[in-house]
Amino acid sequence: MADSRSIGDSKRIVELATFFVGDALCGMDILKVQEINKLMQMTKVPQAPDYVVGILNLRGQIVTIIDLGLKLGLGATDLSQDPRNIIVNSSGGAVGLLVRKISDVVSADMERREPAPANMRGIQGEYFTGVYKTDNTLIGILNVDKVLSFED
Amino acid sequence: MEIEDDEILQGFIEESLEHLADIENDLLAIEERGADIDEDLVNKVFRAAHSIKGGAGFMGLTTIQELSHATENVLGLIRSKKLIPTPEIINVLLIASDQLQSMIEDVHNSNEVDISAHLVPLNAIADGTYSQSAADPPQRPAKAAPPPEPPPAATTPASVESKSPAPRTESPAPAEPVAAPAEPIAEAEADAEEDELEANGDIGDDESGDTADFVVPARGGSRSKMAGPPAKTETTLRVHVSLLDSLMNLAGELVLSRNQLLQTIGSDDLRNAEAVGQRIDLITSELQEAIMLTRMQPIGNVFSKFPRVVRDLAKKLGKTIDLTIVGKDVELDKTIIEAINDPLTHLVRNSVDHGIEKPADRKRIGKSEVGLVVLKAYHEAGQVVIEISDDGKGLDGEALAASAISKGLLSPEQAQVMSDKEKINLIFLPGFSTAKEVTDVSGRGVGMDVVKTNLDQLGGHVDIISTKGAGTTISIKLPLTLAIIPCQIIETGGERYAIPQVNLEELLRIPAAQVQNRVERVGDAEVVRLRGTLLPLIRLADVIGIERTYYDLNNEEVKPDRRENTADRRSKESPLFRSQSEQDKRQGGRNDHPPRSVLDRRNSASSALNIVVVSTGAMKYGLIVDRLLDSEEIVIKPLGRHLQQCKGYAGATIMGDGRIALILDVANLARMARLTSLDGSDRASEVAKAEADALRAQKDRQSLLIFKSSETEHFAVPLNQVERIEKISRNDIEDLGGKRVMKYRGGSLSLMCIDDMASVKPLADSDNLLVIVFNIAKRAVGLLAIGPIDAIEVNADIDDVTLSQPGIMGSIIIDQHTTMLVNVFEMAQALYPQWFVEREKVVFEPDSDIKPPTILIAEDSKFFRNQVKGYMTEVGYDVVEAEDGVEAWDKLHEYGDQITMLVTDIEMPNMNGFDLTQRIRQDDKFGKLPIIALTTLASAEDVARGQAVGVNEYHIKLDKERLMVSVHDYVKRRH
Repeated sequence: MADSRSIGDSKRIVELATFFVGDALCGMDILKVQEINKLMQMTKVPQAPDYVVGILNLRGQIVTIIDLGLKLGLGATDLSQDPRNIIVNSSGGAVGLLVRKISDVVSADMERREPAPANMRGIQGEYFTGVYKTDNTLIGILNVDKVLSFED
Repeated sequence: MEIEDDEILQGFIEESLEHLADIENDLLAIEERGADIDEDLVNKVFRAAHSIKGGAGFMGLTTIQELSHATENVLGLIRSKKLIPTPEIINVLLIASDQLQSMIEDVHNSNEVDISAHLVPLNAIADGTYSQSAADPPQRPAKAAPPPEPPPAATTPASVESKSPAPRTESPAPAEPVAAPAEPIAEAEADAEEDELEANGDIGDDESGDTADFVVPARGGSRSKMAGPPAKTETTLRVHVSLLDSLMNLAGELVLSRNQLLQTIGSDDLRNAEAVGQRIDLITSELQEAIMLTRMQPIGNVFSKFPRVVRDLAKKLGKTIDLTIVGKDVELDKTIIEAINDPLTHLVRNSVDHGIEKPADRKRIGKSEVGLVVLKAYHEAGQVVIEISDDGKGLDGEALAASAISKGLLSPEQAQVMSDKEKINLIFLPGFSTAKEVTDVSGRGVGMDVVKTNLDQLGGHVDIISTKGAGTTISIKLPLTLAIIPCQIIETGGERYAIPQVNLEELLRIPAAQVQNRVERVGDAEVVRLRGTLLPLIRLADVIGIERTYYDLNNEEVKPDRRENTADRRSKESPLFRSQSEQDKRQGGRNDHPPRSVLDRRNSASSALNIVVVSTGAMKYGLIVDRLLDSEEIVIKPLGRHLQQCKGYAGATIMGDGRIALILDVANLARMARLTSLDGSDRASEVAKAEADALRAQKDRQSLLIFKSSETEHFAVPLNQVERIEKISRNDIEDLGGKRVMKYRGGSLSLMCIDDMASVKPLADSDNLLVIVFNIAKRAVGLLAIGPIDAIEVNADIDDVTLSQPGIMGSIIIDQHTTMLVNVFEMAQALYPQWFVEREKVVFEPDSDIKPPTILIAEDSKFFRNQVKGYMTEVGYDVVEAEDGVEAWDKLHEYGDQITMLVTDIEMPNMNGFDLTQRIRQDDKFGKLPIIALTTLASAEDVARGQAVGVNEYHIKLDKERLMVSVHDYVKRRH
């Protein structure tokens, strides 16, 4: 993790895995992504925080699934619309980020990254490290550590 | 201090610590043999000290080198038999080896440690100038931190003490290691996990090649903060090469099998697939076993420190104790070995400190002066049993109970019903410490409850067997491993959950037909009666906050459950807690319920209750689940940190079908349901008391005949006054001389209507009438009524105020109708006064010069008391009232001779009528007092019992006639 970040910071060009959370196009450093899955059968966890959709078995590892839509305040992701799971390895074990749709991998020039506005399409700015402008759209660069941080 | 090669240093540390671990026990063995020196043993210790010295010299650890050199000198003298190893000398050596260990554990700071306190006595011994007084200084640090403490605790104070005089100025850091040890150990333990991470991080730092100067403060800080277990937690493990070989072999086999499987899948050959499947199955289980084996450690690793612990403690306490260790080779999972260290230490210390008596005391009671402590480990039924037994004074169950009562942990009533074993188990209660005075050895505020909690966490089980005066044996049952645990799988809300089998007591299925009878509500809690005890029930769905469901057996579906509570309204409830309206609904309405539909799920098999009876610590409760599934061996997997706040789960596991089941944390579930250990037992006793009260109340029930007079008003009379009931038609009634009569059994029967006297609605205009026949003043009298009639039993909570009027003695609510209780005597008396005249005259005349007789009435029901009082005052008697036997007894003494006679109820709280009678009969002063017993239940048995204790006469409540005749009779005799 520490390594990928240092590379990401030093390198000008970063490959961004982009995906839709609700209608917002977000991206994250592709090196942070372990894999992307279709939604497998989940087990609900009563009493868990509302943004935790459940847990699933990823080859013997228990993965907590977080609905990115709920976490970012964009409303629940519709489970019937074939959402995808972005498996991210964090310090507290593997976590799956549930997103509506996976989009392209975008090569982004980090020098052209702009600071995140305080509020982007209803998402709290704190969840973004910045925005990246492509020819026709804006990509919010997700602050994965912030998203995965566990607030009490 | 420059240490170039971390790897070599690490090797030195590991090797030295191993040597030191051996040295300790070897020194103890040398001490035991005294002058009879075992050369091999001394040689071994000598060589160990020598190699530490050599290694330290090579690494430039001069202080360690110096100390080990001094130790080696002394050992050399012992080896050449120039010195006899006295306990004092061994003591100095032991303390020196402790110091060596602490320095090696904190090797980077070791050169700064002041070891003069050790060198002086060691050199003195070597020079032959050693005396006992010289030994004192080095003993100090050891006393401040008794060796049995986890190593760092023993380490830090010692190093602090020696470090303080010579603070280093190299970096701002040295202050930190000095300050850090002051942090409470408890905190460090709570942070254990965190610290572990930190420790790992530190190791990472070391490896990444930071300079030693920077590492020093960091290590010093985290080390001392880590205190106990984490430092002990080894990150490396020694595994036998043969085991690794077999693992490698199995891994190879697994790869081959996988290849086979892939081929088979491609070829569509089913038979072959089966064979491959079998093969993989075998390999997997073998692999699993082999991997588990790598985690197994001999329990000797923990046991080996106890000879020293016992020796030091015994010495300090002035006791002589022989420690025997059996079963060092028994193997347990690494995590368990590590976790069991502290509880075991505590228990061993307890045995030495509290268990074994002082030699003088032992001698006096005829025991050998040498106390015995046996530490034993063995396999039993797939578990490992560790026993700590001593031949000391044993536990005194009574003393424990008394102590628990004085601490408010237990009520005297609870103590009374406890068995000896239960009393002994009281020492596991939180807040209980058995030592009369807190010693610094084992009474440190942490009691046996902590031991039990620790062991519970490991899935262990503690049991105490103790005979007063003969000793105590504490046996601990532990699972071989924690990684795989047998679990009961259950289902609720369509999801499966696992309950560890260590928590499982039994599975209980209450068939639908019995749910009503066995599940009861007390307040808002549900309980089930299980073999005579009340078991609190918790609904899993409620605790974890999901919708209640049930599993429909017919179409195998999970359906929402809409019942309010398990014991729904139709179930039996504790009468005490039953609300008035519900009570009536039940009593009157039982014939009114339409027959329930056969499809009603309350009566179908699906409505049976599935209860998992679980226990955790002192608590036992029933968990209501939808379905009980198989029992399975599961592998525990931790939950992610986002789910750490969910306290109800101990982890998760992956089931055979690849889906996840959550593992329930039984103790936390109980906490979430606010069912704490003591609350649980409190509630159980509360429930039991309520039950007893209710039972007693039940005995005081009154049978009533209910009927109507007009269509809208409900009436009742005590059933025991009714002679018979006749159906008549209106034409049978004749109106003669203003009185209604009818032909009845060859005579004429006087008839009354309630509205003759009471202001109620007139008798209904119906052709079909009922005559309720009473026998009053030796004459039959009929009360006209209409149906429907019913005989019921109610609690005697009769309201004698609201609706009381002539002819009506009170009211009671039956089946949601206010029902008036008719006073037939009063009516008869008013309507046919001539019947009573004769007798009234016989009785006492108020204006005579004799003092009016005083009747003592003992009756707990206010209604009946007032009734009887009314009968008495009516004819001019004085009345003293008492609510129960105890009060009656007091009143009897208060009024003394004034009391002419006693009229008592049988069923009363505190002291019942039988006991009261017995007491009076045994009394010199009141022994001759006439006693009339009143009861609602005049069974032959009761009458016999009454007569046995000395009741003069027995009457049925509200039978005024007979009662008064008796009373008059006795009063007359008396005057």
